[in-house]
Amino acid sequence: GQEFQFGPCRVEGVVLQELWEAFRAMKDIVQAKDNITSVRLLRKEVLQNVSDTESCYLIRALLKFYLNTVFKNSLDKAADSRIRKSFSTLANNFFVIASKLQPSQEKEMFSTSESARRRFLLFQRAFQQLDIQAAQTKAFGEVDILLTWMEKFYQ
Amino acid sequence: DGVTVLPAPQNLSVQSTNMKHLLTWSPVTVPGEIIYYFVEYQGEYESLYMSHIWIPSSWCSPTEGPECDITDDITATVPYKLRVRATLGSQTSAWSTLQHPFNRNSTTLTPPVMEVTKDGFHLVIKLEDLGPQFEFLVAYWRREPGAKEHVKVVRSRGIPVHLETMEPGAAYCVKVQTFVKAIRRHSPFSQAECVKVQGETLPL
Repeated sequence: GQEFQFGPCRVEGVVLQELWEAFRAMKDIVQAKDNITSVRLLRKEVLQNVSDTESCYLIRALLKFYLNTVFKNSLDKAADSRIRKSFSTLANNFFVIASKLQPSQEKEMFSTSESARRRFLLFQRAFQQLDIQAAQTKAFGEVDILLTWMEKFYQ
Repeated sequence: DGVTVLPAPQNLSVQSTNMKHLLTWSPVTVPGEIIYYFVEYQGEYESLYMSHIWIPSSWCSPTEGPECDITDDITATVPYKLRVRATLGSQTSAWSTLQHPFNRNSTTLTPPVMEVTKDGFHLVIKLEDLGPQFEFLVAYWRREPGAKEHVKVVRSRGIPVHLETMEPGAAYCVKVQTFVKAIRRHSPFSQAECVKVQGETLPL
């Protein structure tokens, strides 16, 4: 069966196809609300050329941010039941993945984790430069960028 | 909120087999009246981060029967809280919540139905379509002492799959089990079925 392999971090029991189906069901609605087309939060410097060992640190930071900051207030505003259902699928599967990621805390990995942290900070600073609601809407709409990147580690 | 007069539905439970999940409850009855029910769910994320949020079930908000197919609502391998309430016009009952949250990894997996046939000298198997969550692990062997068991993973559903080119006069046996990626579990193996190139399917 397929699973995620973010460097040393292995995550089973999540079907990527279910995440894609959930996002596609709400993509048009969510992305139509994003009026700031000149800004991209998950830009190339955040996700490009990420080493395998770095990927576990980065995906964990990104998923926790989505769970704690992006998703947390989005559902309140999601009156449309299609969005609520898709949102629930994404949030609960992100929750499963994040809870299974155990990146190494050993000293030798410090430079790798630091590199991942710098990438995450690029994303977070870009998020914080926007009005919170606009930032949540944009980040929500960029889940397809995140899923596309995660797909590289799904085997 | 309407005046709560109706009794809340009781005896909520979930029956889950092969990743099909059915929520049932005891019906609320008012002579001569049709009662409608509303089903809502909450995944682990919602219950931890936003416990005031409940999501209407895809097919049962509302529904008439005392049951609800929640398969399309359960889309992660986490515990889900489920609740039901009854309505009659403007009257609504209190919510009844499933006593123990439901997790799809508790589903019962049954051995799959298979059809073993011969197409000339070709050993062919056809498997039931259980949906995209399922893969099939097919084991087959030539029925003779010390024969090696071959294994093939089949992801296609409901279409014949060629397993082996058989030798005249030899008998071949097949058994199969399912594998569900989302919960990382196998079903038990089916009964083995054997065929002989010139003969009919032989029971074991």
